[in-house]
Amino acid sequence: MAQQANISELLSMLDSSALGVLDDITTVFKENLNSDRGPMLVNTLVDYYLETNSQQVLRILTTLQEPHDKTDTDVVILTTGVLVLITMLPMIPQSGKQYLHDFFDIFGRLSSWCLKNPGHVTEIYLVHLHASVYALFHRLYGMYPCNFVSFLRSHYSMKENLETFEEVVKPMMEHVRIHPELVTGSKDHELDPRRWKRLETHDVVIECAKISLDPTEASYEDGYSVSQQISARVDTQNSYGNATSTPYSTPRLALLNTPGQLPQVLSSTTRLSTEPSQATIWSPSAVCGMTTPPTSPGNVPPELSHPYSKVFGTSAGGKGTPLGTPATSPPPPCHSDDYVHISPPQAIVMPPKKEDRLDSVRPCLHRQHHLSNDRGLEETSDSKGSVTLRDLPRFLVDLDSEEDSVEKDKEEAAISKELSEITTADAEPVVPRGGFDSPFYRDSLPCSQRKSHSTSSNTQGPSVSTEPLTSSVDKLGPDTPKQAFTPIDRPCGCASESPAGNRENQTSLETNIFTPSPKIPSQRKVGFGSGQSPPYDHLFEVALPKTAYHFVSKKTEELLKKVKGNTEEDYMPSTSPVEVLDRLIQQGADAHTKELNKLSLPSKSVDWTHFGGSPPSDEIHTLRNQLLLLHNQLLYERFKRQQHALRNRRLLRKVIKATALEEHNAAMKDQLKLQEKDIQMWKASMRKEQARYKQLQEERETVVTQLHSQIRQLQHDREEFYNQSQELQTKLEDCRNMIADLRLELKKANNKVCHRELLLSQVSQKLSNSESVQQQMEFLNRQLLVLGEVNELYLEQLQNKHADTTQEVEMMKASYRKELEKNRSHLLQQNQRLDTSQKRILELESHLAKKDHLLLEQKKYLEDVKLQARGQLQAVESRYEAQKRIAQAFELEILDLYGRLEKDGLLKKLEEKTEAAEAAEERLDCCNEGCPDSLVGHNEEAAGRNGETKTPKSGSSRGSSGSRGGGGSSSSSSELSTPEKPPNQRVGPFSSRWETTLEPSTSIPVTVGSLPSSKSFLAIKARELFRNKSESQCDEDGLTNNSLSETLKTELYKDPSTEAKAPLGLDNPHPSPKNQESVGQLHIMDYNEIQHEPS
Amino acid sequence: MAEDTQRNFRSVYYEKVGFRGVEEKKSLEILLKDDPLDIEKLCTFSQRFPLPSMYRGFVWKVLLGILPPHHESHAQVMMCRKEQYTDVLHALKVIRFVSDSTPQVDVYLRMYQLESGKLPRSPFFPLEPEDEVFLAIAKAMEEMVEDNVDCYWLIRCFVNQLNNKFRDSLPQLPKAFEQYLNLEDSRLLNHMKTCSVVTKLPYDLWFQKCFAGCLPESSLQRVWDKVISGSCKILVFVAVEILLTFKIKVMALNNAEKITKFLENIPQDSSDAIVSKAIDLWHKHCGTPVHSM
Repeated sequence: MAQQANISELLSMLDSSALGVLDDITTVFKENLNSDRGPMLVNTLVDYYLETNSQQVLRILTTLQEPHDKTDTDVVILTTGVLVLITMLPMIPQSGKQYLHDFFDIFGRLSSWCLKNPGHVTEIYLVHLHASVYALFHRLYGMYPCNFVSFLRSHYSMKENLETFEEVVKPMMEHVRIHPELVTGSKDHELDPRRWKRLETHDVVIECAKISLDPTEASYEDGYSVSQQISARVDTQNSYGNATSTPYSTPRLALLNTPGQLPQVLSSTTRLSTEPSQATIWSPSAVCGMTTPPTSPGNVPPELSHPYSKVFGTSAGGKGTPLGTPATSPPPPCHSDDYVHISPPQAIVMPPKKEDRLDSVRPCLHRQHHLSNDRGLEETSDSKGSVTLRDLPRFLVDLDSEEDSVEKDKEEAAISKELSEITTADAEPVVPRGGFDSPFYRDSLPCSQRKSHSTSSNTQGPSVSTEPLTSSVDKLGPDTPKQAFTPIDRPCGCASESPAGNRENQTSLETNIFTPSPKIPSQRKVGFGSGQSPPYDHLFEVALPKTAYHFVSKKTEELLKKVKGNTEEDYMPSTSPVEVLDRLIQQGADAHTKELNKLSLPSKSVDWTHFGGSPPSDEIHTLRNQLLLLHNQLLYERFKRQQHALRNRRLLRKVIKATALEEHNAAMKDQLKLQEKDIQMWKASMRKEQARYKQLQEERETVVTQLHSQIRQLQHDREEFYNQSQELQTKLEDCRNMIADLRLELKKANNKVCHRELLLSQVSQKLSNSESVQQQMEFLNRQLLVLGEVNELYLEQLQNKHADTTQEVEMMKASYRKELEKNRSHLLQQNQRLDTSQKRILELESHLAKKDHLLLEQKKYLEDVKLQARGQLQAVESRYEAQKRIAQAFELEILDLYGRLEKDGLLKKLEEKTEAAEAAEERLDCCNEGCPDSLVGHNEEAAGRNGETKTPKSGSSRGSSGSRGGGGSSSSSSELSTPEKPPNQRVGPFSSRWETTLEPSTSIPVTVGSLPSSKSFLAIKARELFRNKSESQCDEDGLTNNSLSETLKTELYKDPSTEAKAPLGLDNPHPSPKNQESVGQLHIMDYNEIQHEPS
Repeated sequence: MAEDTQRNFRSVYYEKVGFRGVEEKKSLEILLKDDPLDIEKLCTFSQRFPLPSMYRGFVWKVLLGILPPHHESHAQVMMCRKEQYTDVLHALKVIRFVSDSTPQVDVYLRMYQLESGKLPRSPFFPLEPEDEVFLAIAKAMEEMVEDNVDCYWLIRCFVNQLNNKFRDSLPQLPKAFEQYLNLEDSRLLNHMKTCSVVTKLPYDLWFQKCFAGCLPESSLQRVWDKVISGSCKILVFVAVEILLTFKIKVMALNNAEKITKFLENIPQDSSDAIVSKAIDLWHKHCGTPVHSM
């Protein structure tokens, strides 16, 4: 104890912050640990760690050496440790992997421990240990299959371990499936953190449970973990409160080997083959739902147990199990009734009981009491919650429903019937193989001995239990086929439980006593349960599609088993350690109650000391330990349950979601149906429309074809008409042609007619003529006649006057002859005259032509001359113009000068100026007045302007000749005085003028020269003419030239050369009149001659 | 006919070889043999072909009406013209407008002024623009004709023709110039428009003075052949051709004044080519004048 105190001191110092102290103490601990082999120090350390969570202690603990961690052989601790390990493993999948081999070592060691029992512990403990090892096996195999298997392989390949393997491990392996990881995974892959990352703790647990074939451990995906539910219920019957909430008390279902959810029939078959023992599973408490643990409320309706129980019953009846309890006897019906009565109150009572139990346990586990308390609270709350939760699935299941159930039931019924037949056939007791590892092995042997009995009783069972059967049939209603088994079931269950049978009964009785509530009528209870059975059944139906396969396979398997049924080996491994433990507990509980019953009720613990003296301490110790173990087990199971609860909640959520989705799907399907209906409707209407459309189209086509045919007909008609019209047109053309021909003919005819008429008229004329001629002829004839008569008369006269006439006639003849000759000469004369006159006419005509020609020539020439003259005139005119300008300029100058003189203002100059002015005036007067009379003055003036002409003018004898100077061009008057006309002075200028014009013409042999005769002729004529005129002028000699000029002037106005008019009248009267006169003369001459010539 | 064939057997080749004027001279001689002279034919000839220089004076005088068409009156008419010239000159001397020292051109001007009655009161009065035109033409003519009388008369009649016959058509020439320049080279015209030089071109020099003082006389008389024969449009084409010839220079100049200045004093060396091209251009646009009679 001193050491203990010392240690506690040291422990307190362990947390000191001083590093040196820390190290010292650590070394002290380690030394201690090394030196001291007892567990004392370690335990203290662990306790301390649990209390303070000290890291240092943890460090020390983790560095514990070999002796400490392995020497402990206390089963309780071992079991607790293993359970803790199992609990921890799924929580630390990743971090725990480094200790994997340690875990495996633990397993190996413990498994061998189980067998060899080195600590020589009581077998009861061993059961616990075995169960926990079994759980460890499952966990390890579930989590690290490859590694674990390889460990197993290596570990049990050693000879010394072979036995352990055969005895312990192999049976365990029978409860697991082949892990899929063994196929797909590898050692390394198992340890891959990624594998664990997406899994939560409960996922890992479920993973492990999945590969388990043990119904207690196994979990079936989709949450059909019916077995636990059932087991829970069963536990309520078997054990006191502590068993109620634990799921591990369901060994009955251990043989539900099917991996998936098993329909009850299947399970029943498996049952048949495996375990008859505790067929009494049906519990009304389950019906009430009060006692069911919170686990898997959504998944499993409590009703599940009902069919199971029945099935178990049958199986139990059919088969002997190794555990097979002495099926001695209790009358089955009453048992079943008992159950019905008892269980519900039990359930109600239990919780407080359990609390008590927990209290009693508490001293053992001081430090866990709060935990357990929590658990307890949780449990209660969970149980409450479970009710409500459970209601929901039930409700849901109710909704979905029983449609298939009947069918299924029927089917199952048929199968089960068959099975029952088989079972009855195979009912031979099977020798229990037993002898595993468990303490029950021994129990199982007697069981097997009794098996034959039980089977026989079972075979009789059905017949016996007809009554309950009927009753149950009444209760269960639709489930008839299943119920057929129920009577078998119950009694069998009771029978199978025979070893505990009495106790059972007692317990039930006791519970009856205990229950504060009055008995609930069994009928009602059952009714209640059975009333709810259909929805429960239905739950299986939901799973049926999945399980159908299993069913068949199971069936065949089972049949095979049946065939091989004799061999016990098949059945042997089916007992799992858990089951054994379960049973142990059950038995223990029974024993305990028995004991308690013996004692006085109020206080059991006191009783022992009080009554029976000191109870054997060893036993008490054992019991305590057992209790402890149970508690551990309980905690472990709680942990599992919690994991399951977690999972279940999640699954429930999924289910809700799924149902919601299903509903949604249903709604969608409805909609789809509606839409399909719509579509079909539309299709129908479309078809209708199409049909109508087709019809319409056909109609239209017919109409079209009709129209086409009409069109064709019409076209045909049109063509015909066209042809007809063509024909008609051709006819018309023919007619026209004919008409034209006819017209032509008509015309011809008309012509002919006209012609004929003409002819006729001619003929008629002729006729009339001829008629007139005839008349004339007649007249002439008459005349002739008359004349003839006259002639005759004359002849007569002549004859009368004959002689006288001849002379006369001759004379007359002569006279006639003479007269004729005269006339003839006259005629001759006349003829001659005519000839001469004709000759004369010809001559004259030729003459006339010549005259005309000449005239034309003359005209042309005249024009030419006129043009020439005009050109000259223009030149002269311009010159004149220039002169005028010059004069103006001069005048301007003079005036200017005058102006200047005046400005000088000198009188002298003034006088001079007046003189000058007078002189100027005189000059002006001379200019004005001197024109008519004084030619000289004019000439002088002209000379002033044109000095050159002065000399010839002065040389000329007469003024008239001086006037020639004005002509300018005819400069030499001497030349002009031609020898032809020396006498004619007056005429001279004219003639000269004439000749000057003629002279160049003679020189140029153009026009006139070609006709000299005519020229002479003309000249003569002209001369004659001019002579006459000049003579007349000579007569008027006294007259001045002026008068002549004046007379001529009038003629000149008519002259086409009017340009010369202005200068004529104004400034130059003298020279130009002459000139103009000559021109005018020429003009006159021309026309006169032309006029005179023909005369 | 015989004469014709004799005359023409080379004529086919003259044109090909590039001789021009051989044929023309002969045909002109034939024309000039006519009596009276056919003025129309002479006009047409003068417009179609360049006049041989030996006949140019005579033809001009005939075309301008200084000589009448009748050969026989030529001497007399010329006499008359000469007398008129002397008379006027004498008068001017009398009124002391001119003296012996007066330049001949001024003498011509005064004579013209006197004859047209526009003689100013004093010789010192400033000159009118038309007098400037007269002076320019007179200067050019003086170079071409030696005889004073002929010269005076040619100047006088030429100016009179400009003032009377072309009075209406001369103001139209700038427009025609623009039009033909646009046809020939619109880019140049646009350039000139952008320089706004179009209105400022030396139109007076070109169309009033008929390039007198602008082109050398040897080239100028070929232009005046056409003008005297009655077509003042040739002036437009000469102007256009001047611009086309000096296009590059004109394009290079951007200032209106510079352009005008340049055009007023164009280089003399290419004037012959300018005139030839201008005549071709004129023929191209206005067609070869055909004797209408």
